Amino acid sequence: MSILECKDLSKNYGHAPALDHVSFTVEPGHIVGLLGPNGSGKTTLIKLANGLLTPSEGSITICGMAPGKNTCAAVSYLPERTAIPTWMSAAQLLDFYGDFYADFRRDAAEEMLHHLNIQPKQRIKQMSKGTREKVQLIMVMSRAAKLYLLDEPIGGVDPATRDYILSTIIGNYNPEGAVVISTHLIADVEKVLDEVVFINQGRLVLRSSVDEIREEKGMSVDALFREVFKC
Amino acid sequence: MLRKLLKHEFRATGRIMGPLYLVLLVTAVGANFSTRGLLEGDGWFLDMLGGLLVIAFTVAIMGVCLMSLVLMVQRFYRNLLGDEGYVMMTLPVSIHQQIWSKLIVSAVWFAATFLAVCLAGGIMVYDVDFMKQFLKGLGELIQHITGYYAINGAALAAELILLAFLSCCAMCLLFYAAMAAGHSFANRKSLLSVAFFFGFQFALQIISATVVNLLDKIGVFDLLPDWQLEGLAGMHIAIWIGIAAVVLYGAVFYFITAYCLKRHLNLE
Repeated sequence: MSILECKDLSKNYGHAPALDHVSFTVEPGHIVGLLGPNGSGKTTLIKLANGLLTPSEGSITICGMAPGKNTCAAVSYLPERTAIPTWMSAAQLLDFYGDFYADFRRDAAEEMLHHLNIQPKQRIKQMSKGTREKVQLIMVMSRAAKLYLLDEPIGGVDPATRDYILSTIIGNYNPEGAVVISTHLIADVEKVLDEVVFINQGRLVLRSSVDEIREEKGMSVDALFREVFKC
Repeated sequence: MLRKLLKHEFRATGRIMGPLYLVLLVTAVGANFSTRGLLEGDGWFLDMLGGLLVIAFTVAIMGVCLMSLVLMVQRFYRNLLGDEGYVMMTLPVSIHQQIWSKLIVSAVWFAATFLAVCLAGGIMVYDVDFMKQFLKGLGELIQHITGYYAINGAALAAELILLAFLSCCAMCLLFYAAMAAGHSFANRKSLLSVAFFFGFQFALQIISATVVNLLDKIGVFDLLPDWQLEGLAGMHIAIWIGIAAVVLYGAVFYFITAYCLKRHLNLE
């Protein structure tokens, strides 16, 4: 069974379509890049998968279920902005994730926080913006989830932090699950992707494996992206 | 999962309300000293200090009451409709559990605030001569009224407390419904939330007046003299009708909140 399946999925904001009859599947064990320029519908698709929005037409399922309480237990979601409660300390945040997610690996999270020299009593609001983003990523990747939905995980961070984020993703995701990374920074994520889904103005433009792109088209994903989305 | 939501909600709010209650009780002790002697002192410094302690106590009471209201609105807004909503609304819990956790915690803080203010008031008037005489006189007055009208004071007080508590819960749900409806839109969410708040209140008053008018027209109130209601029974019936009305409109606001959060959530 596919972990994520979109069938004729559409979402309109008023009369403006954000997603227009998008269909694709994500299989277990794959790292998929959801790639497209700004405003192409990537975040909308991820919000639909999380049940934060409801589809206008078509359907989206996670492990065969419509987004809801049950799918939230299987999905680990990294929003595009820092959303963890800032009044909490690092230890309280660990309690919070441990309470709500049965698949949360507290020991792995503690080890990663220790590696960043974050004290358990340190409050999130006392941390820098970059550290907050790392802490949020640590919480998300410390779950043994079936599906990781990462919305712009490397947007707006320095190259060293990008490397840290990508290595954290690769080093911690559940190999039996799938990872969807939404971004427009192709060159940085290309090395970790198995498949790509190109999306533009709400429409699916291309779906292919990274190997196929390299072998058949003889170019990198980044080069293909620049060609497809040339202004 | 509701238990876990409540645990973290109390943790988030208790760090603010706990110290405020402490400040309230400390200022109550100060106000007690003030009324017991400082104001009658000879020196200007003691007079000023006594006055300041009483002012501090008054401000603390207003602060605690205001904060329990502000916290009720702020927790719902920031935790579910703000950035934290991305974490909270993707937890493996239902929308109903989310709303109940906010409602229960707010109601508990309202009740705790009432008790804390009563306790602080008790501390403030403890062993103060004129307050002792005032309370004694009040007690005698209530005794006379109870004896004359044969009012069951305990039952009436319990009913009034229940009505007040449910009214607080319904007020929370009115705020929640207005915020949830306002945040269903893409733009001007805060402005729309305020507009919905006044809109819902206006609709509530119009509907209440219409229902009373309709009942009057179909002759329901003409039946009342035939019932030969005594004053006491009339008061009990009026309170229970009030309780039923509060529960009814509270339920309507609950479903508006749940519907908007479930079907029209529109986080930025």
